[in-house]
Amino acid sequence: MVPEMTEELRANKLKTDEMLINMGPQHPATHGVLRLILKLDGELVKHCEPVVGHLHRAQEWQGQNRTWFQYQALIDRVDYLSGMFTSWALARAAEKIDDVKVPLRAEYMRVIVAEMNRLTSHLLWLGTFGIDLGAMMGLPFYPFREREELLDLLEAIAGQRMMFNYIRIGGVQNEAPPGWFARLFKFTGSFPDRIDEYEAILSNNPIFLKRTKAVGILPRKLAIDYGVTGPTLRASGVALDLRKVKPYSVYDRLDFAVPVCNRDGDTYDRYMCRIIEMHESNKIIRQCIEQIPGGTADVLREKRKACSACGKANCPHCGGDLAIMVKKQNAGLRVKAGEGFAAVESPRGVLGCYIISTGSDTAYRIKWRNPSFSNLAVLPELLLDHQIADIMAIFGSIDVILPDVDR
Amino acid sequence: MLGMVGRAAEGFYQVCRGLWTVFKHSGRPPTTKEFPDVMPELPGAFRGRLALAVNPETGEHLCISCRQCERVCPDKCIDITAHKSPQTGKLELIDFKIDHGLCMFCGLCTEVCPTSCIINTSDFEMSEYSRGALIYDLKRLTLSQEESAYYFAKKDLPPPKPKAKPAPKPEAAGDAGESLAQQPSDVSQQPGPKAEE
Ligand code: SF4
Ligand code: SF4
Repeated sequence: MVPEMTEELRANKLKTDEMLINMGPQHPATHGVLRLILKLDGELVKHCEPVVGHLHRAQEWQGQNRTWFQYQALIDRVDYLSGMFTSWALARAAEKIDDVKVPLRAEYMRVIVAEMNRLTSHLLWLGTFGIDLGAMMGLPFYPFREREELLDLLEAIAGQRMMFNYIRIGGVQNEAPPGWFARLFKFTGSFPDRIDEYEAILSNNPIFLKRTKAVGILPRKLAIDYGVTGPTLRASGVALDLRKVKPYSVYDRLDFAVPVCNRDGDTYDRYMCRIIEMHESNKIIRQCIEQIPGGTADVLREKRKACSACGKANCPHCGGDLAIMVKKQNAGLRVKAGEGFAAVESPRGVLGCYIISTGSDTAYRIKWRNPSFSNLAVLPELLLDHQIADIMAIFGSIDVILPDVDR
Repeated sequence: MLGMVGRAAEGFYQVCRGLWTVFKHSGRPPTTKEFPDVMPELPGAFRGRLALAVNPETGEHLCISCRQCERVCPDKCIDITAHKSPQTGKLELIDFKIDHGLCMFCGLCTEVCPTSCIINTSDFEMSEYSRGALIYDLKRLTLSQEESAYYFAKKDLPPPKPKAKPAPKPEAAGDAGESLAQQPSDVSQQPGPKAEE
């Protein structure tokens, strides 16, 4: 008698040969150029090896060959979706060596633009995550509506949409143009509703749930072992957010929550974590606009007419906490001899910058610790025994930016 | 059984809710900007094509050939040719080349320029058929008086002070305004034949 073909028998008896498949580097869903060498048993992934380095641009080496002033303009390109954070990490590391205190107004400006940048990064992720899951119609471009608004604002203050060169060693580059704060405040008012719209489309959609729930489970211990950071780690139940754990800048004066999932996170939890983070970032921006010393740029500009923008340190409208830069930068910018490390919480996780300076106009050594790199390292473990179709769902959910991996 | 029906109903409701959200968008005005027809309104800080401004009032060229921009440029895409004028003993600009194919629009050159001469304009449509055409010479870089006035106002730059002329030629003392106005046109015409060589 021929036994009935159960799933179990199929798996045991009909063993097929493993197949080696090369995914990428020119794959539209790999967010850049990532190559995955996959060993497949039928549809199931048995082994996966990411091959990185296709986008290597020697960012660290360039830092040792360009002056500080020139290098600041370059590092936005390390992680092109969140340029503010790379600038911020470098600036903080250099400020630690120099031992300068950044004016309070500049710190608030930094938090505002950085949180805006976090929003743009998460919004782009939301759109591409939809594409990764196969939602080709409509959804991918809805988040771009808000992202455009934010990028327009960032362009107005920094000069370019993504290569900002705005956060500098010792402060920020310039004051906001007229009407900027009002536009931003208006945006933050309508933003939560827009997020709710996306949630209405995605969060409870049965197809979306099937594709994401219990897919790509990242156990807490594994996440810690691999040094995973950012929302990916917090979705696995580790409450590590530098903004809360080691508050830098003015984050200790702001009231915000950090979403942490209390179980081993799957793709859905990582999605949810980022959605809540967007709400929190929005809250942070609102608080900063209310708290910023000196008020909005327009108010301050009016006040400065009285003292004709004297720039003296003891002036009530100009110097001290109300300046945006400790000292105006010039091409001969130098950092004192010494070494320093600083980390910030970027949209992808802890972004660290380690610099050694000998006091000359170029750095002696620069080292970046990029979150995407360690997040990508855990991918082979996550993909094990998942279907090919789930690869992109899982890969999309850990939000890796390839230039950030390869630098 | 009931559970399954419930789940199906719930799923159906959620899909409808999502579709309704999408459907609501059809009544709203479009958010996309149709670029070639609708030009974007760019902010003053925007870093587009580089250009050299002239004094909006007198029309004299603002560049003093200090080479600060050339030195600071990370991509080494600025090339300045200047010489000491035999009559006045002052630096005189002969040619100013910027290779926009190399430029990364960081704006550092505009930050270090002492006279706000080199500026980022709001122009971004600069596609060309050859790389050579992306190398702009002094003539293509120099803005007209009106354009300079426009950008000085848009970027909120301090108005330039007229150059303190030590009155090199005796006749210049009599009619300073005219000689100032003539000078930039001399300068900008000079490299014309040179660039074609
Ligand atoms: S914008 Fe930057 S790259 Fe371009 S010419 Fe100026 S300094 Fe050089
Ligand atoms: S920095 Fe300004 S003034 Fe000096 S050479 Fe460059 S454009 Fe001319």
